[in-house]
Amino acid sequence: MDRPDTADAADPLAALRSIARDPRSYVQRWREEHPDRKVLGVLPMNFPRELAHAAGVLPVIVPDDQQPVTEGRAFLPEFYCGFTRNLADQAATGRFDLYDGLFVADHCIQLLGATDIVRELEPRAPVFLGQLISSLSDRGAGAKIAEMVATLRAEVEAFAGTEVTDAALAASIRAFNRDRSLIRRLFDARAAGDCAFGPVELQDIVASAQVMDPDEHHALLSAVVAGRAPRTRDDRIRVHLSGHLCHAPRRELLEVIEEAGAVVVDDDLWTGRRYLQTDLDESLPPMTAVAEWYAGRNVALPCPTRVQHDVDWDQWLLAAAERSGAEAVVHLMPKFCEPHMLYYPELRRALEAAGIPQLLIETEHEGIPLESFRTRLEALIERSHRNRPAYA
Amino acid sequence: MTATMPPLATPDRTNRLAATRHGNRMVAQYWDDLFTARERGQQIVWYNGGALNPIFQAAGLAWCHGEAFAARLAAQQLEGPAQLAGAEYGYNAELCSYSRTHLGCAVLTVQGDEGAQTGVVGAHDQAELAARLPAPDFFVNNYAGCSTGQQWDEISYRVFDKEVPIFNISHPFLWGNKADAGYLQGEEWESASRYVRDQLVDLIAWLEERSGNKFDWDLLRESMTYIKRAAELRREGLELCKAKPAPATFWDWISAIAPINFLPGNQELVDYFASVRDEIQHRIDHGITGIENERYRLYFDGIMNWNKLGFLSRKFAEHGVAVMAGRYITNAFWQEPQLIDTDDPLLGMAQHYLLCPTNHGTRTLDYLTLRDCEEYDVDGIVFHSTRTCRAFTGPQRLLARSAQNNLGIPSIFFEGDVADASFYKEEILESRLAAMLEAIDVKRAQAS
Ligand code: SF4
Ligand code: SF4
Repeated sequence: MDRPDTADAADPLAALRSIARDPRSYVQRWREEHPDRKVLGVLPMNFPRELAHAAGVLPVIVPDDQQPVTEGRAFLPEFYCGFTRNLADQAATGRFDLYDGLFVADHCIQLLGATDIVRELEPRAPVFLGQLISSLSDRGAGAKIAEMVATLRAEVEAFAGTEVTDAALAASIRAFNRDRSLIRRLFDARAAGDCAFGPVELQDIVASAQVMDPDEHHALLSAVVAGRAPRTRDDRIRVHLSGHLCHAPRRELLEVIEEAGAVVVDDDLWTGRRYLQTDLDESLPPMTAVAEWYAGRNVALPCPTRVQHDVDWDQWLLAAAERSGAEAVVHLMPKFCEPHMLYYPELRRALEAAGIPQLLIETEHEGIPLESFRTRLEALIERSHRNRPAYA
Repeated sequence: MTATMPPLATPDRTNRLAATRHGNRMVAQYWDDLFTARERGQQIVWYNGGALNPIFQAAGLAWCHGEAFAARLAAQQLEGPAQLAGAEYGYNAELCSYSRTHLGCAVLTVQGDEGAQTGVVGAHDQAELAARLPAPDFFVNNYAGCSTGQQWDEISYRVFDKEVPIFNISHPFLWGNKADAGYLQGEEWESASRYVRDQLVDLIAWLEERSGNKFDWDLLRESMTYIKRAAELRREGLELCKAKPAPATFWDWISAIAPINFLPGNQELVDYFASVRDEIQHRIDHGITGIENERYRLYFDGIMNWNKLGFLSRKFAEHGVAVMAGRYITNAFWQEPQLIDTDDPLLGMAQHYLLCPTNHGTRTLDYLTLRDCEEYDVDGIVFHSTRTCRAFTGPQRLLARSAQNNLGIPSIFFEGDVADASFYKEEILESRLAAMLEAIDVKRAQAS
């Protein structure tokens, strides 16, 4: 499946959109086309998919499939974040059958809780936790990362039943880099003033990349980019969207932001810049490149699930707002997401000190109080307008 | 936040151990000493997670365990001002209430006198108490299992504007990837133990360098010798509690957590646990029971609801329930003293830090829970669905299912929290407990 089919070529963005919104059909199609290869579910946000891709596996970052949580309720408490409850529900209702196995490199305790549910309910699928060290200031963190990357490679090989050669890994690195850098071009253009792509479109582009084979995604995205001319942003209030770890916010939320008279100019969302900010260094031996990618990701875009004493999400956010000219920040916090809850006051403090208006929206897995969000957003926009100089 | 406890209409049917009162005095003395440590010229370390106190003792530092301080405030119904300060700073009410209380203390400590301006009636003295906590000279994080624990100290470091040096110890989660993995066994266990041990060596060098104090290895061996002995006595006491009827209950052991968790290793600690064990033995010898008229034996899973400790102990006793054991007691706090080599204690210490009851995959927890339910011969399990502690609550549904499927043991869940009374729902516990006890009666009647 290296090139898009004719229907895809006619409307490549529609093809990406439909994969972002219905990953199951994409995975089923991939399976039909690759009957002797495996599909590996990996959990966000740090598993190096290149390792699995190099073994001929389709590594899918398991998305929140946005179905209401039903039978999953019996397995995880209702005060777990929506993403993890959705994972438990996917396992409890058989929807996890999409994957032949599950690999996890992150350590958020809620993620591990959901992973254990999958392990229990899907005994046919191997579940492997290869915990990448989360405290990146530890002496010896580099060695620990290298050790775990080697372990993950060996486990992926065992899962795929094939060896991962350095050459194959280097090729996978190139494929993912190429795709990520093309997406990043769109994000950088947006931050620089181009609003050719709206936030929902960009989210669909990233969400589909998290599921698809990188070459196939790149082919479709190239066609999308070729068919879209740049468009200069108007003078709506420029907003940065922050947070929303591990899964996509509801599209309706993104739509309301623009309807209310703001324009999204940048973000650090998981289904946004957070996914694509860091490339692997192709000049390094491939295993070193994977390890350094992981170590460098938190510097390129700090994550509250990591701890690193000299790296600050708040400072990154101020610099990003400076780059994009963002006049306001909307924090999108999934309800019960503790890493975000812990870090939020630091973000708030820094933005307050910088005089940047902000709004915190807690997102729920089921049901969005859109109207109340709209009202609060309008208030934010009004406040931001008052911050503008009278005669610009 | 604080909530007023309803008056109890029924008589107290508990018969709590007298020996634990002495433990309470030792603990109160410890906190008083800590509050004045700065005046005595001591440097102070704030830490979270596993019991590093023997290392701090040998490094000549005074130590404050963050969770313990939050638990103490909650147990004394004094957590309100710290939580309010945390909320004003921006911490969400759904955040782990230990961390939110402790971070609130950090905010009050940083704010100094400003902390008293909360506008809450009676808040002044309580805020003072939280702010009396001496500011740290060091942070050390030793949290295994729960990611929140690790992030919490990193945030404390930022609340103090990064002016206080911090050291982190990383603990691999004991997930059990491999077939040889199991409780205290397998390559995963061995390699994780060595890895954490090596970090303890680094910590000691870091403390020496930063504090200017020479590390006293003999003192570490000596205090670990006392702690090992105290832990053995504690285990002996726990073992004795398997007797029928139970001579002491889970709630007595909850009262004895603080001494084993953070008091200095010395003869007084050993004497204390000897007195606890001896009192239990004396009760067995004289037919004295932990509650009046024991009719049911239950297992308690979950971290403690500190606001409700006395209330819960009376509540279960009122129903004739002896709460026998629980993950937080039986599988935590130097629970495997045989692992400690007193001549070279670091490996055994590292292993205990890894054995935090939130640091196991559900398979191991399942093994431990079923083992304890059988050994203590319980009729059911009460799960404290600890609202803001996702680490303890994550595996609970699977554990309940397994206990039912493998041992035929029923379970109930009730909601509460470690340090936030507002999450406790009295009606839910009361009605579910009554229903489970009724079901146990029916099962017994059918069996007889
Ligand atoms: S980081 Fe947040 S969103 Fe992701 S699994 Fe953890 S709690 Fe859920
Ligand atoms: S959530 Fe639970 S285990 Fe985690 S830091 Fe809080 S009290 Fe500790």
